Amino acid sequence: MRPLTDEETKTMFEKLSKYIGENIKILVDRPDGSYCFRLHNDRVYYMSEKILKLAAHVSREKLVSVGTCFGKFTKTMKFRLHITALDFLAPYAKFKVWVKPGAEQSFLYGNHVMKSGLGRITENTMQYQGVVVYSMTDVPLGFGVAAKCTAECRQVDPMSIVVFHQADVGEFIRNEDTLT
Amino acid sequence: MRRLYVGGLSHTVTQNDLKERFGRFGDVEDVEVRTRMDDEGVPYKTFSYININISDGDLKKCMTLLNKSKWKGGTLQIETAKESFLQRLAEERQTAAEQKGLRQPKAEDQKQKVLDSLSKAGVENFTMKAAVPGTEVPGHKDWVVSKFGRVLPVLQLKAQKGSRARTLKYDPSKYSHNIRKLDRAGGADLPTPVTPVTQLTWEVQGGDDDISKKRRGEFPLYEPPRRKKGRADAGSARDAEGAARAKPTVGSAPRAEAPRLANGREAATDPGPARREWPRFAGADSDDEIRRLVAPQDTSHDALRQEEDDDGDKLEVVGLDYLVKSGRKGGPDHKDENDYDSADTDELFASRKAALPPPQERPTPRAAAGNRKRKLMKKKKKKSGGGEEEVEEEEDDSSEEEVFSRKPPAECSSQNQSKKMRVLPVVNPPSSESDGSEEEEEEEEPSDCSDSDYEAMFSNVTHLSISLADLQKLAEESPQTPETRETTAPSVLPPAHKKGILPEEILASLMRDDPRKDKLKERIKAPPLPAFKGTRALSGGEERRPKEEGGGSVKKQKLVEEPPPMNHKATGSTINGRDLAESESSEEEEEEAACEVVKNIAEAGSSSSSEEEEEKRKKKHLTAQPEAAAASSSSSSSSSEEGQENAVKAAKPPAAPDSESSSEEEEEEEEEKKQAPPLRLPLGAKEEEERQRKANERRLAAVQQRQKEADEHKQLIQGALSNLDAPKAAAGKHIVFGSDDEDERQTTPKKTVSRDGRSEGEATVGDEETAKGKMCPKPSVPQLFAGDEEEGDEEEDGSRFDIKPQFEGRVGQKLMELQSRFGRDERFRMDSRFLDEEEEEESEKKKSGTEEEEALDEEKKKNLSILQDVLGGSRPAGGAKTAAKPKAFRDVSALHYDPSREEHAAFETKTDNAKKDSKAARRKKREEAQKLPEVSKEIYYDVSGDLKAVFGQAKVAAEEEDVVPAAEDEETNWDREEEAEGGGGEDEEPALQSSLLGADPAAESEEASGFKFSFFEDDAQTGSGETEYKVESIQAPKVSWQQDLRFPDSSSDDDDEEEQPEEEEQEQPDVTAKTTEVEIPSKPQLFFFYCDDSRLTEGPRSFCRPSHLEEQREQWEERRTELREEYRKKHKDARRKLRSSLKS
Repeated sequence: MRPLTDEETKTMFEKLSKYIGENIKILVDRPDGSYCFRLHNDRVYYMSEKILKLAAHVSREKLVSVGTCFGKFTKTMKFRLHITALDFLAPYAKFKVWVKPGAEQSFLYGNHVMKSGLGRITENTMQYQGVVVYSMTDVPLGFGVAAKCTAECRQVDPMSIVVFHQADVGEFIRNEDTLT
Repeated sequence: MRRLYVGGLSHTVTQNDLKERFGRFGDVEDVEVRTRMDDEGVPYKTFSYININISDGDLKKCMTLLNKSKWKGGTLQIETAKESFLQRLAEERQTAAEQKGLRQPKAEDQKQKVLDSLSKAGVENFTMKAAVPGTEVPGHKDWVVSKFGRVLPVLQLKAQKGSRARTLKYDPSKYSHNIRKLDRAGGADLPTPVTPVTQLTWEVQGGDDDISKKRRGEFPLYEPPRRKKGRADAGSARDAEGAARAKPTVGSAPRAEAPRLANGREAATDPGPARREWPRFAGADSDDEIRRLVAPQDTSHDALRQEEDDDGDKLEVVGLDYLVKSGRKGGPDHKDENDYDSADTDELFASRKAALPPPQERPTPRAAAGNRKRKLMKKKKKKSGGGEEEVEEEEDDSSEEEVFSRKPPAECSSQNQSKKMRVLPVVNPPSSESDGSEEEEEEEEPSDCSDSDYEAMFSNVTHLSISLADLQKLAEESPQTPETRETTAPSVLPPAHKKGILPEEILASLMRDDPRKDKLKERIKAPPLPAFKGTRALSGGEERRPKEEGGGSVKKQKLVEEPPPMNHKATGSTINGRDLAESESSEEEEEEAACEVVKNIAEAGSSSSSEEEEEKRKKKHLTAQPEAAAASSSSSSSSSEEGQENAVKAAKPPAAPDSESSSEEEEEEEEEKKQAPPLRLPLGAKEEEERQRKANERRLAAVQQRQKEADEHKQLIQGALSNLDAPKAAAGKHIVFGSDDEDERQTTPKKTVSRDGRSEGEATVGDEETAKGKMCPKPSVPQLFAGDEEEGDEEEDGSRFDIKPQFEGRVGQKLMELQSRFGRDERFRMDSRFLDEEEEEESEKKKSGTEEEEALDEEKKKNLSILQDVLGGSRPAGGAKTAAKPKAFRDVSALHYDPSREEHAAFETKTDNAKKDSKAARRKKREEAQKLPEVSKEIYYDVSGDLKAVFGQAKVAAEEEDVVPAAEDEETNWDREEEAEGGGGEDEEPALQSSLLGADPAAESEEASGFKFSFFEDDAQTGSGETEYKVESIQAPKVSWQQDLRFPDSSSDDDDEEEQPEEEEQEQPDVTAKTTEVEIPSKPQLFFFYCDDSRLTEGPRSFCRPSHLEEQREQWEERRTELREEYRKKHKDARRKLRSSLKS
C-alpha cells in the first residue's frame, strides 16, 4: 500500500472529474477529517487517516482491502472505476440520468440504458460525459457514459442507447468475489 | 291586403297603439310585434308586421306621413313586407293542389282513351283472344299481338352508336317468348300469403351460445361495468330482471326483433340478449371482484405504468441544480411513497398505539389498578408485620400466582424498559375495569360471549389490552363458575401470559423501580386507590349479582363501569389527602372502609368470585413486588379492612405524584376527562351515590389543584428546557441528570433499597405522612415531573441545569466523558488533576501525529495541485476559469494609484529621470532666461549706441511682436521647450547658418533674414539691442495689438519657431528674434517693396473679397447642401446601425 504517484493521481482524477468534476476537491479536502487515496494491488482505495493507520499493521500480502475501493489501474495504466466508488460519486455527480422503473432491471443486469428507459436527464449533458444513473426514486444504480447529448436524447428513437453502462450495483452480486 | 314592416319602434309600443296609428289608412287585420332581446334579456330592437287592407294611395300617404317620423322615442321605418311565411306556404300548397287537380285527370284520360280504343278493337285487358301472334290490333298502328296473346306496342328503339341503322324496331311478337303470366303458376298452387320482404327471415341454426347468437346478428348490449353495491341484492334484482325478460322472449318469435338487438337499445325487450346478459353479468361480477381485489395491489403498478407511458412521451430534462428530493415529488416516487405509507399504516398504527395511547388513556387506570395492589400489599404488610406467610399461602391458592411469581426474576433481568412500559402492563388488568370508557366495556361484552371475537377485536389494539381482557374474563368466569375457577383460571391465564410478555416486562420494570426509588412506589401507590374501587365495585356487583347472573354479560359491564368512579374518588382523595388534615381522610376512609368491609364480607361470605378478583390482583401485586408479597393476605381476611384503609390513605398521597410523574400534564388532563365520564355511568349502589357525590366534589377540587400543578410543572419544564437549550446544553445535559442525586440512584441501587426498607419500616410504624415525607424528598428520575414536594427543590433543579465549572469547555467535556465512564459515581469524581496528564498525553500524541499529518497534508496539497491541473487541463471551464476571470475583469476605472504601494510602482512612468533632468535643465533655462534680460541690457546699451534710428521705427511693428511672445514663451512654455529642445538644438544650426548666410547677399531660402542680417551684419548685437530697446519702450501698450497683428502674418508654426529662437537667444537673442521674424514672412524675398513685388499684389487681396459675395454664397450653399447630405447619410447609417444592434 502506497500513496499514488503524481501520474496515477492525475489519471485517476481525470477519470473522476468526468463524473463529479471539481467536486473531487471535496473528497480530497474533507472537513470531517483527513482522507487519502492509497494504491494497493493496483487498486485505489479511499480511506480515512484512521483506517490508514490501522491498516498499516497488516502486511501487504494479507491485506485484501482497505477503506473504499475506487477502482483499479489496468495494465496499461488506465484507471477504471469500480461500482464501489458509487457511494462517493452519487452525492457529487454533476450529470445524472434517471431510469424508468421498467428499465432499472435491465440496467442492473449490465445493459446499456435505452432511450425507452430514460426517465429524466440532466440538461446540457455532453456526449461521452460521465453520468450517474439513478432510479426514478433517486436511488443511485450505477454510472456510465452518456452516449448522446441531452438534445439528441430527445430525438433519437426509443431503442437507441443513451447511456453506456460502466458499472451498476448489480455487480455487487454478479462480481461479488472480485469486488474489493 | 298588404303586409307592412314597421321598424324602429320603441319597446313600449303595443299592438293597439299600432292598430290605432295605422287604422287611419286602412283596415288593420293583424299586428305582430316582435322584440329582439340580447343575452341578458334587454330588448334592443322592436319591430312589427302589420297586415292591413290598404289601397295603394293610402299606402303612399301612409308612407309619406309615417315613414321616418318620430313616434314614442323611435324613428319609424315602414316598408312593405313579404307575405308571412305561413300564408305563402298555404298559397303554395293551394296552388299545387289545384294544379294536381288539373293535371291528373288528363293523364288518366289518355290512358283511358287507349284502353277504350283497345277495347273497341276487341282487346280486353291487353289480351286479344284467338289472335295469331303478330296480328296488328285494328285501329292501333303500333300495337301487335305478341306470342301469348298479349297486346303489346311495337317499340322504336334508338340504335346504339356503332350500328348503321338509327332506330331498331322491336316487335314483341317476335321476341317476347319469355313473358309468362305468373298468375297461372300461382293459380296452380295454393295462394300463399304475401309477406313483405322486411319480414322475411333467415334462420341460422344454432344453440343459445354466444357464437351462434352473434352469427344470428344478436349482440349483447354493451353495459359499462357497474360498481357493485350490495352485490347479492343487485344479483337478485338482476335475476328478477332476467326472468322478466326471459318470459316474453319465450312466448313470441323474437327473430324479427333480433336484428334490432344488435343495434343496442331495445335489449330490454329482447329475450335473447337478456338471457345472455345474465351470465355475462355474473362474469362481470366475478371480474369486478377480482379487479377490486387486485386493484389496491395494482394501483401502484398502474400508476407506475402510467407514469412510464407518460414518460415515454416526454423525456424529462433536469437542470444541473436538480435536487434529489424534488424527484420524490415526481409522480412515481410519490406514489411509491404513498404505497409504502399505506403498507406501513399497520406498523405505524401499532407503534403509535404502543407509544401514545397507552400513556395517554390507560396509564392512569392501569397505574391506579396495578399500583393499588402493591400499596395494599405494603400497607397490609405494615399492619400485619409478618405478612409473608400469608403471601405464601396465597401463592399456594392458585397456580396463577405462581405464574406471576415466576415473573419477577425475568422482570429483574429486564430492567431496561421504560417506566411507561411497566405501567402499561400492570395497568391493563385494572384498565379493563377502570378504563370506564364505554368502548372497552362494549368490547368486553362480546368477549364474554366469545373469546375469539374479542381477541379479534383486540388484535388490532395493543397486546396489553388483550391481556387485560383475559384477566377480565377470568374475573368474570370466576363468579359464574366459582368451583371450577381454579381450573379455568390457569387455562385462561396462559394466553394472558403469552401475550403478557409485555406485562412481565412491566412487572419487571416495576420491580426494578421499587428498589430504585421511592417515587416509583409513589406511582404505584397512586393506583392502589382504584384497587379499592375494584373492591367497591365488587361489593356493588355482589348486590347486583342475582340480577347480573340472570343478565349474563350485562353485569360484567356494570362491574367494569363501576370502578372508574371509584378511581375518581380515590384520586380525589389522594390529592385531598395530602392537603386536608387526617380528619377528612379519616372520614373518607371510614366510608371506604365501610364499603370495603361490606365488600370483604361479601367476598368472603357470598362468593369466591370477588375474592378471586382480589386475589388475582393481589397476585399481580405480589408478582410486581416480591417484597410486598407478604402483605397481600389482607383480601382473604376481614381484618384487612383496616389495612386497606390505611393503604388507601397511603395510596392517596402518592397517587397524585405518581400520576404526575407517570407522564406529562396532558395525560393527566386526559385522565381527568376519562374519569369524568365514569361519573355519568350508573352507579350500582345507592350508598355509593352519596359517596360518589362527595368524591366528585373532591375530585373536582383535586382536578383543579392538579391543573394548577400541571401549570406549575409546565413552567418548570419550560424553565428546564430553556436551560437545556442554552448553548452549553449539549455538554450540560449529561451533567444535569448526572448530578449527585441521580448518580446515587443509578449507580447505587443498594442504597435505595435500604431506603425502601427504611420507608417500609416507617410505614409499618403507621406514620403514613412520615413515609410520604420521606418518599417525597427523594428525587425521582424525572424530577421535572414530580409533584409539589419537588417544587421546593426547584432551586436545586435550577442549579442543576447549570454547567459545573469543571465541565465547561472542551477540556471539561473530556472530563465529563472520563467521569461518565464511572457512571458519574460520586466516588469517582474527576477534576482537573485528571485532565493534566491527559493533556500532556494528548500533546505528545499530537507531536507524534504531527509528522504523519504533515505527510498527509503534503499529500493532500499535492493532490489538490494535481487536481487543479486536471481540472484546468481537461475542463478549462472549471475552477481555473473562475480564477482567471477576476484578472481579466480588473476594473481599470477603479484602479487608483497608491504611491505607498510597491506594486503600484509599475504605474509610475519612467520619465521621472528625464523629468528630473529636464527640471534641472529647466531651472538652468529659467535662470538663463532671467539672466537674459541682464545680458540683453548690456547689449542694449551697446546696441543703442549703434542703432539706426532709421530702422527702429520702421521695424517696430514687425519685430516687437516676436520679442514679446518670445518673452512670454519663456515664462509659460517651458514644458514645450523641453519637448522642442531636440528640435531647437537642430534649429540652432540653421539659424546660425542663416546668420552666416545672412552675411552673403545671395542667401536664397532665407533671403529675408539674410537680408536683414546682411543689413545689420556688422552689428548683430545692435540689432538685438535695438529690438530690446523697442520692446522696452513699447512693450506694455503694444502687446495686445501686436499679438493681434501677428496672427494674420504668422502661421501656426510660430510657437515652434519662436522657441527655437529663444534658445538661440541664450547666445544671440537678437539674432534669433530677427530670424524668427524673418522666417515668418518667408514668401516675400525682400523686406522692401520692389516693383512687381508679389506682396503688393497679394496684400490688397487680403483686403478685398477674392470673389463676389454671390459666388461665395453659392459656394457656401453648395457646400452646405453637401454637408447636409453627408450629415443625413451619417445619420441614416447611425440609425441603421442602432436598429440592427437592437434587433440582434
